[in-house]
Amino acid sequence: MAHLCLFSLLVLSLVLETQALTPTHHLTTTDVARLQAVLSQPFTDLKSAYYSVVGLSKLGIFVADADETCRFINSNLDPSSVESLFYAAEASQALSGCEIPVTNDTRDLLLATVSEDSTASQIHQSVSALSALGLPLASQEVVSALKARISKEDNVLAIILALQTASRLSQQAELGEILEEIEDLAARLDDLGGVYLQFEEGLEATALFVSAAYSLSDHVDMEPPLKEDQVIQLVNSIFSKKSWDSLSEAFSVASAAASLSNNRFHVPVIVSAQGPAAVSHSHPFLQLQVTDVLCQPLSSASVLVESASAVASKSAILSQAPFTLRDGVFELNFMASQPASGYYQFSVAITGDSRFVANHVELKVKVSTRVAINNMDLSVVDKDQSIGPKTTRVEYPTKAKASFMADSHQNFAMTFQLVDETTGVELTPHQTFVRLHNQKTGQEVVFVAEPDSKNLYKFELDTAERKTEFDSISGTYALYLMVGDATLENPILWNVADVVLKFLDEEAPGTIQAKTLYVPKPEIQHLFREPEKKPPTVVSNAFTALVLSPFLLLLILWFKLGANISNFTLSPSTILFHIGHAAMLGLMYVYWTHLNMFQTLKYLAIIGSLTFLAGNRMLAQKAVKS
Amino acid sequence: MSNSVFSVISRFVEEYRSSTPNKLKMIDAYLLYILLTGVFQFLYCVLVGTFPFNSFLSGFISCVGSFILAVCLRIQINPQNKRDFLTVSPERAFADFLFAHTVLHLVVVNFVG
Repeated sequence: MAHLCLFSLLVLSLVLETQALTPTHHLTTTDVARLQAVLSQPFTDLKSAYYSVVGLSKLGIFVADADETCRFINSNLDPSSVESLFYAAEASQALSGCEIPVTNDTRDLLLATVSEDSTASQIHQSVSALSALGLPLASQEVVSALKARISKEDNVLAIILALQTASRLSQQAELGEILEEIEDLAARLDDLGGVYLQFEEGLEATALFVSAAYSLSDHVDMEPPLKEDQVIQLVNSIFSKKSWDSLSEAFSVASAAASLSNNRFHVPVIVSAQGPAAVSHSHPFLQLQVTDVLCQPLSSASVLVESASAVASKSAILSQAPFTLRDGVFELNFMASQPASGYYQFSVAITGDSRFVANHVELKVKVSTRVAINNMDLSVVDKDQSIGPKTTRVEYPTKAKASFMADSHQNFAMTFQLVDETTGVELTPHQTFVRLHNQKTGQEVVFVAEPDSKNLYKFELDTAERKTEFDSISGTYALYLMVGDATLENPILWNVADVVLKFLDEEAPGTIQAKTLYVPKPEIQHLFREPEKKPPTVVSNAFTALVLSPFLLLLILWFKLGANISNFTLSPSTILFHIGHAAMLGLMYVYWTHLNMFQTLKYLAIIGSLTFLAGNRMLAQKAVKS
Repeated sequence: MSNSVFSVISRFVEEYRSSTPNKLKMIDAYLLYILLTGVFQFLYCVLVGTFPFNSFLSGFISCVGSFILAVCLRIQINPQNKRDFLTVSPERAFADFLFAHTVLHLVVVNFVG
């Protein structure tokens, strides 16, 4: 059971380790220089003086004219404002030999601000001012005031200021509860895609949180409850922005960078290759820069390649090979292990300090080489193979002296080998093309040369089979070989020989037409639907008469049967009925010629109801009579 | 064989002439007229062609519908069938005939185009 637990723990730790993050965003030396430039701008008031002086001191830079700055601070100081005292006190502490005159009133003002009624910001400013000016303060009172303020002002910035304040207090004070706020704040960070971790209040809040958390953790000597991945995500968030909107933002980034590069617990390591991560015989050293977040090289680090394996074959080339430090750059002579050309996956570990975070890096390194062409043999082979092939060998970069003739009975063949110039190992680059270019007409046809199982490249041109590509145009074609690959330092374009191709003349087109892909196409004429063929009018008329003829027959039959209208009563209902009925038949005709269904129904309703009433009366009278 | 067929037919014609009331003969004449009209329309279609097809259909359906309605009228009017149509008087049958024809002609004229 214990063995199982241990085993699963080991597997879990391995899994977690392989998924450790490395920083995707970090400050380069130009970015650090830009940050310094922003902070070095001439200051207009006490607040900007504070940001500039203190910010630069965090980056390890001291203001040029300390006396001038000190005079500026003193002249702009307002002793009745806690904020003004805070800026002046902090700035003067960063300058050497700058004193702020302190009166009893000042001290009383600052001490009075430490209470539950002031805001967290005011408490922070007064405690920092008291501490910077070297005045005594009652730590326990501050702690209780801070706790009260935290519960009242439950926003991120207030808690960050509380953390900063606590880092100025005596170590004997009960800072445990305030220390727990770090964990609560860390839970409020937003995880963006697993890459960034930041407050929704923005970059400044995130950066101030980092510097406050680490300064408090260093003060009480307890590791902050931030996991390694979280630290890296914070690094990504804070250092993704390379130009800053305001002086306060630049100040917050400088504070965060200073605390991340110099605290007792977590130091993120930035590893970047100097130039492209590529080695070759002319540049055999793989050079890596290993720095902290402020681009300062980590001199105490030792860099080791844990494993290096080829991406294609997954065979290991190196294991546990150390880098040597030279001029602040770590380098390794990778070509000494004689790797074949291609891509290699490096797993690099940086050790030397237990504080290092993200100290396992995966790198992809390219090994380039130069290619040489061996045994280029050109020959013209007869199709029925009655005549043996004459092989001509050509050396790169010369051109074959004689041109080759091939007509429809012959094949033109080319074989060659591509090898690594230094090691002689056979290569199969991505691009091996054979290009035939007709100098007179400007036509070109490109074929691919394929390697066989023994890595020998072959190209065969069957003149009869390929005549469509050439449009059956005979003539002299210049033959070029093109070799290229990402890992080749010397791509090749070599005019190997001239080939005279003869196609059957009758198939050649009269004029050479350039491939017309993008010319306007012929216009499409729309064909409207043809009306159907109608029979001649005579036929139609004849049949109309034929169809109407049975009516005559009907009249005749009725007459013969003795149909009469002798029973016709001249009552109004009868007349109305007959008129209505005739009107309905007339309406049908009008419907056919002029009206639509709705109008017809309307008229029909009127006429129909009249006819119905009249007819009803008429038939009733008839029924009574009979 | 033909002899018996001929005698049957002549017998039938004789019976028809004598025993059928005049009213029914009139309706029979009307039925013959409708039939011939339909036949001639069909003949046109067979000989000349079905263009325009909707007109042919409309005319043909008109003939068929009229024939059917007239047959219905004949059945309902026939005094020999009086027992089957106690609630329907001949006048009522005629009124129904007219109404049904109105609907039929409405549809036919709509479709003839």
